[in-house]
Amino acid sequence: MNRRQLIKTCTSLATLSLFSFTFLSARLSAQENTFKRYKRALLLDKNGNPISPDSIERGKQYIFFYPYRSTPAFLINLGKEVKPAVVKLSDGTTYEWKGGVGPKKSIVAFCAICPHQLSFPTPEYSFINYYPPDKRSKTAKRGNVIQCCAHMSVFDPERGGIVLDGPSEYPLLSIVLEESEGKLFAVGTLGVELFRDFFDAYRSELKKMYGSFRKAKKKVDKSVVLEVEEYVKEIIYC
Amino acid sequence: MGVSRRELFKVAGLGAVLGALQLPSIACAAKSANSMLPPSKGKRIVIVGGGWAGVTAAKYIRKEIPDSEVVLIEQRKLFMSCPISNIWLAGLVDLEFLMHDFLTPASKYGYTFINATVTDVDREKRRVYTDQGYVEYDYLILAPGIRYNYEAWFGQDKEMARYTQKHFPSAFIPGSEHLRLKKKVHNFEGGTFVLVVPPPPHRCPPAPYERAAMIAHVFRENEAKAKLVILDPKPKIAPKGPGFRMAFEELYLDIIEYVPNAKVKEVDPVKKVIKTTAGEFKFDDANLNPPHQAADIAWKAGLVNPKTGWCDVDPITLQSKVDPRIFIPGDANSVKGFPKSGDMANNQTKYMLVKAIKAMIEGKDPLEYVKAPTNTCYSMVNGDPMEAIVINVIYDIDKQKRMPVKKKVNVQNERSTKLARATFEWAKAMYRDMFS
Repeated sequence: MNRRQLIKTCTSLATLSLFSFTFLSARLSAQENTFKRYKRALLLDKNGNPISPDSIERGKQYIFFYPYRSTPAFLINLGKEVKPAVVKLSDGTTYEWKGGVGPKKSIVAFCAICPHQLSFPTPEYSFINYYPPDKRSKTAKRGNVIQCCAHMSVFDPERGGIVLDGPSEYPLLSIVLEESEGKLFAVGTLGVELFRDFFDAYRSELKKMYGSFRKAKKKVDKSVVLEVEEYVKEIIYC
Repeated sequence: MGVSRRELFKVAGLGAVLGALQLPSIACAAKSANSMLPPSKGKRIVIVGGGWAGVTAAKYIRKEIPDSEVVLIEQRKLFMSCPISNIWLAGLVDLEFLMHDFLTPASKYGYTFINATVTDVDREKRRVYTDQGYVEYDYLILAPGIRYNYEAWFGQDKEMARYTQKHFPSAFIPGSEHLRLKKKVHNFEGGTFVLVVPPPPHRCPPAPYERAAMIAHVFRENEAKAKLVILDPKPKIAPKGPGFRMAFEELYLDIIEYVPNAKVKEVDPVKKVIKTTAGEFKFDDANLNPPHQAADIAWKAGLVNPKTGWCDVDPITLQSKVDPRIFIPGDANSVKGFPKSGDMANNQTKYMLVKAIKAMIEGKDPLEYVKAPTNTCYSMVNGDPMEAIVINVIYDIDKQKRMPVKKKVNVQNERSTKLARATFEWAKAMYRDMFS
């Protein structure tokens, strides 16, 4: 299966419902930093079968789309148990992040839209990426981080996506995962959502990518997991 | 003027009565008598200057302080970006990439955009005068950017300054100068082209070197028999010195001649001769960049320290040390360690100025709310293939000293196509932040 087919599969396999996003509820949720439940989406491998947590390789970055068919998220196996953490925002409010899932509690997921100025992986480029411990970011001079090369925001996937360095005011939005009978599900988000800003900023681009803006904003109940290298033509590390 | 923190809060609170504060009055020329807006209800923040700092301020004040009335006054009808303009100069990106409209963000974030030229500021009456009338303010954000200090070269000889600007435009202030410079560079067929680096501090510290690389790229593409001489008053290239040096030596050794310690002593634009501390240089064409200072309106408002040419501000709130009702973000201020760049203007405005104003309104200590800025600066050093280098500076707030300090400097001097891609992503994201 080539890259184009994979991308096509990724979007077509998802069973989608009509977009029902409302600004008010999103904003309230963002302000309260609470868990926001979306459709329970089964994560699939590229052949359309439920993805096994054991098949998520340590140190690799994977991508899937959730909660909307156009909003990318990283799926990462950090290779060790990831414990819960309290995430503190710049305004002093906090929320509790539940840590990893899977057999070793090592699998985490974060929205792949940079909360600073909304860079995100496209089929052409990915400026925001996960750097495993053995592939350190040259500019951040460390590994095991998620970094956006557009403006050098650096996030910690082991501590709920908190900002380690750079201009981002918010941590990465956490995608809440559940494991059930060896299957992985995305069930909601936790943290500061910026989906409205994302849809606002990329309206015309999303229209081109998905055929219509409405299609881009559909929520998913299944989502295909790909290696980022399979989805993106050129990964920009910095 | 020394003002204590408590006094600052008192004065800066939007509901505060000006009362006992004695503002120095400044002489005002004849001014239009008509008010352009209804009287303020006490929450009007007027922003003079629609550059990177001004546009950012307008958006984020409306977002952070929703009940404020924000008025942005800008003389240009269209925004043209100075960052990325060197890449445009080399023909590697369209002009459209640099151009943005003021109306979209004004409409989206609910602020008033007035397309007018500010002619004066009456601090006593709290009025900004324009060529179309005046606007009263409760608080003023002055973000006027820079002016060229041709006086340093020609004294009071205004005619010589105008001649130089017309024939050898600097193009550090977006507009006609950029288009003129582009024509000159692309039409240059042979001879010596001189690029004078302004003395620090100047707008966008790496810009002269990036511009040199882009001009050299054009000369090579055009097979011009040209030499590009960079006259730098500094002893070495900075920032990103190793990255620029490698590019100059590996890509443009036959074109670029870099001359350090070349402080300008005399410029004769008619005879096309520059005398410097590193010798005398004749040129066939040139990009003559005089020293930079805070823009005219900041001088007229009496906010500039004449010893430095820049506006002294509190380094945490960016509040003028002359007038606490005025805030000065961006290139015009003199915060130590902050480069005069678009990225920094955006960051210091968003994370320091706006948060400080919000904290003051709420009667809180701004020190607890401002966030240290960062500065990310990409420079394109090769045109074919496009390759760039980058510096990223992360600041911290020293709460004891009440000032920002450098925490980390990350530089990638090894040029790459990936960093070139990131250059455009950096720019797109910045434009998105300010204009979408």
